[in-house]
Amino acid sequence: MPKPTLITELNAALGPRYVLHRPEELMLYEYDGSALDQATPEVVVVPSSTAEVAAVARIAQAHGLPLVARGAGTGLAGGSIADRGGIVVSLARMDRILSINPQERTAVVQPGVVNVELSERAAPFGLHFAPDPSSQKSSTVGGNAAANAGGPHCLKYGVTTNHVLAATLVLSDGSVVQLGGSAPDAPGYDLLGAVVGSEGTLGIVTELTVRLTANPEDVRTFLAIYDTMDGASSSVAAIIAAGIIPAALEMLVGRGITAVEESVRAGYPAGAAAVLLIELDGLHEELQVQQEQVVALCREHGASEVRVAADPVQRAKLWAGRKGALAACARIAPHYHIQDGVVPRSKLIEVLRQTEEIAARYHLIVVNIFHAGDGNLHPLLLFDMREPGVRARAIAAGEELLRACVAAGGTISGEHGIGLEKRDYIGWMFNADDLSAFADLRAVFDGAGLMNPCKLVPSGSSCADIRMAKGAQRALAAGAWV
Amino acid sequence: MRPYTLHGMNPDLFITPASAEEVAATLRHAARTGAAVVPWGAGLHQHLGHGPARYEIALDMTRLHRVVEYSPPDLVLTVEAGARLGDVQALLAQQSQWLPWNPPRGAEATIGGLLAAGASGPLRLGYGPPRDWTLGMRVALGDGRLVKSGAKVVKNVAGYDAHKLHLGALGTLGVIVEATFKVAPLPETMQTIVLRFREPPPLPALAVLHEPPLAPVSLVAQTGDGRLTEGNDDSGISGSIQNPKSKIQNGWVAVRFAGVRAAVARQLQVAAQRGVELGAIAEVLESSDDVAFWEELADVPAPRNDGSLGLRAGVAPGHMVQLAQLLETTAQRRGWQSFSSCYLGLGLAYSRWWPGPEPAADAIALALAELRAGLQPLGGYAVVEDCPSAMRPTLDIWGPAPGSARLMLALRERWNPSEVLNPGRYVCIKG
Ligand SMILES: Cc1cc2nc3c(=O)[nH]c(=O)nc-3n(C[C@H](O)[C@H](O)[C@H](O)COP(=O)(O)OP(=O)(O)OC[C@H]3O[C@@H](n4cnc5c(N)ncnc54)[C@H](O)[C@@H]3O)c2cc1C
Repeated sequence: MPKPTLITELNAALGPRYVLHRPEELMLYEYDGSALDQATPEVVVVPSSTAEVAAVARIAQAHGLPLVARGAGTGLAGGSIADRGGIVVSLARMDRILSINPQERTAVVQPGVVNVELSERAAPFGLHFAPDPSSQKSSTVGGNAAANAGGPHCLKYGVTTNHVLAATLVLSDGSVVQLGGSAPDAPGYDLLGAVVGSEGTLGIVTELTVRLTANPEDVRTFLAIYDTMDGASSSVAAIIAAGIIPAALEMLVGRGITAVEESVRAGYPAGAAAVLLIELDGLHEELQVQQEQVVALCREHGASEVRVAADPVQRAKLWAGRKGALAACARIAPHYHIQDGVVPRSKLIEVLRQTEEIAARYHLIVVNIFHAGDGNLHPLLLFDMREPGVRARAIAAGEELLRACVAAGGTISGEHGIGLEKRDYIGWMFNADDLSAFADLRAVFDGAGLMNPCKLVPSGSSCADIRMAKGAQRALAAGAWV
Repeated sequence: MRPYTLHGMNPDLFITPASAEEVAATLRHAARTGAAVVPWGAGLHQHLGHGPARYEIALDMTRLHRVVEYSPPDLVLTVEAGARLGDVQALLAQQSQWLPWNPPRGAEATIGGLLAAGASGPLRLGYGPPRDWTLGMRVALGDGRLVKSGAKVVKNVAGYDAHKLHLGALGTLGVIVEATFKVAPLPETMQTIVLRFREPPPLPALAVLHEPPLAPVSLVAQTGDGRLTEGNDDSGISGSIQNPKSKIQNGWVAVRFAGVRAAVARQLQVAAQRGVELGAIAEVLESSDDVAFWEELADVPAPRNDGSLGLRAGVAPGHMVQLAQLLETTAQRRGWQSFSSCYLGLGLAYSRWWPGPEPAADAIALALAELRAGLQPLGGYAVVEDCPSAMRPTLDIWGPAPGSARLMLALRERWNPSEVLNPGRYVCIKG
């Protein structure tokens, strides 16, 4: 139970309607897209302005309570879960697009704007917001910036950090700072560069200036169909090695293809071993040349067929299938545990095989539907929680998958973030000195240690005992998904 | 021994470490003894910032020039900081790849030096700044900790992107010892069209040069009444440029396209048509001249010993017209000549003022203040990059401290606690 004075103070700052503290209200904020862990915050607030967020921060500071920012809660690493209790700050009401400047190709938005709405609003100007996570119909621009989200088209256009020009940040002491700006290279350290991707551990973003990207003149979308997974993997490596950077280069393997097709009926060849969803964009002449090269490379590496999307409707359907893949896989098994390690593209064949081998060893179903062009795997481990012991197996298998990515020279996360879920693996990549430099950075922004504590990197001794396995145990007790 | 002289100061000693660990050990020693360290790459950007408050050790990074890892099929490269960009480009070119950057004096510049200086170049319009290509770094912090961030794959969100903090920081937080980049395939061709206007180029109308289908990789307009003259001119009124056959002229707009031949050809044609409609004479350069032409243009910001003041100024790209006007009129009002290389679409200008043979420091200070006052409502800034050395100590090189200076200073206190790295050279100086 939160202290009555806390509620009184928050009520005074925001109005009681936007201060949620009844158990049935709090329940909605216990989990995110990963549902690996669950935790109940003391209170949830829904502020409407930077000033209100700052007021909440001051109250949190006075009570010594953690502050956990929350966008749409689609995160896949437990980042917005109030693992240590405290105040969840939902940015849902700060959902306005404040301005679009077509000449400069920029937009000023509040953090709660849903990703796809920004692109829709920019469309009349021939522009879009390039980061396009598969969750773009629900995830927020603030959440994308906090997670440094990627998406299929980030292969060509770069991840979120390349598209954020400025941010307003509320710190845990209630102060407000402006970082970055539309003028390039203004003197001063690139603090904005550190804040993007910081998973809400440095401050709460309450406004952003983002770059918009011109829509391409021409787009071509293909499906390359394979009898073997290796054929698809080696095609990916060959396309990149040939110096072609497609707008998107996605791979779907095995049972995932069937599941996606059953859910969207977009013409994915159910039963194929693997398919590549390839998109080229740019000027007509460019595409003419690249299309020929790509089709030839796919065939050379074993594609039995390369189909071209006939029209924008078919193209949209293919993408709806790809972006709805996670949901579609619920047809295979009700629960999932997803990882998103990255490997050098030349190691794709090897590591993809390992994912299958590892999943088999743990008696789990694995579906690989992922950003192949970036080498960003998304092994989706599927299972039914009612099966005894399966949760622990999923966690152990996930851990082994990530070890394989690191061993191949890659990383434990390409876009989903570290959050709670992968925090204890961060030591595989960074040593004590590296982590101490990260801790310094964190302390600069959040001296009180209240901003989303214990996420991303271990911050202080209080986090040391929260092992992932323990978190999972709690989830088990609560009957949650993994 | 190389001359490690900096604004008239000389170090007590120079060190040429051969490994990252030796760099870190040097900094640990310096932090203990309080000896101030100035890291040196090729020395091409040492004119930036204030002179160091103290200067005991020159840390020469050029022995750290190895290619640590290069995997052409992955388009990922890891190099030590002392490697020269020119050598790196030559290696990449063997695989038809490159780092799509052309900073001033790009062939000789070291990787660490150009990253620390925040150098970019005209290609930035099409390819983004080096920041967008930097995947990770190893850095020796000011207290001697050897730390890394990022990863050697094209996407990573593990840990903070701490390496971004060293970009443009002039080596005041740490010394970059190694960097990992995403590299790009070389375009099939690159070609340029020069639009020559009789009047000053109509900047607002030039926006059509980067509207679809045009997607130039560089778009630079030369404005002002001062001239980067042919050959050396000792009058102190005009600047000089090394190439006597210089193509750079005021009133010229250069537009560069990259890609497959047919796409470049169409864009050149459209650009010519749009230019002619604006009253320009259009000339398509031979593609064989392309590289040399842009090297010269990219070198415009490099320091010149001609009594002029070199400025870098930035605004939101939509305010470029106002920026160019402010740069010109502030000089004109004083009877000074000026020249600006305006990076359209980026909101960046490299400008030169020639305040006459015996410029008074306070007159320049006043002009700078006036320029900054004009830029302030536009959200812009101006930094002095290059000036006669006698003037440097009295000039406000960086302008007003950024709003987040408190955080910047706090960060420096943690990563460079004894203030031994380039003390006093960068923004947000204590006190
Ligand atoms: C079906 C599905 C598909 C997905 N596909 C992709 C994909 O293709 N690429 C990808 O990158 N991700 C993907 N994700 C993961 C997720 O959608 C992204 O991480 C997204 O950016 C999260 O946005 P959100 O608004 O839901 O943020 P939340 O989940 O609410 O929060 C994510 C993190 O950001 C912090 N945060 C949120 N808002 C702010 C703010 N204003 N200021 C400071 N910190 C803040 C939170 O504290 C938390 O640490 C997918 C998720 C699902 C469920």
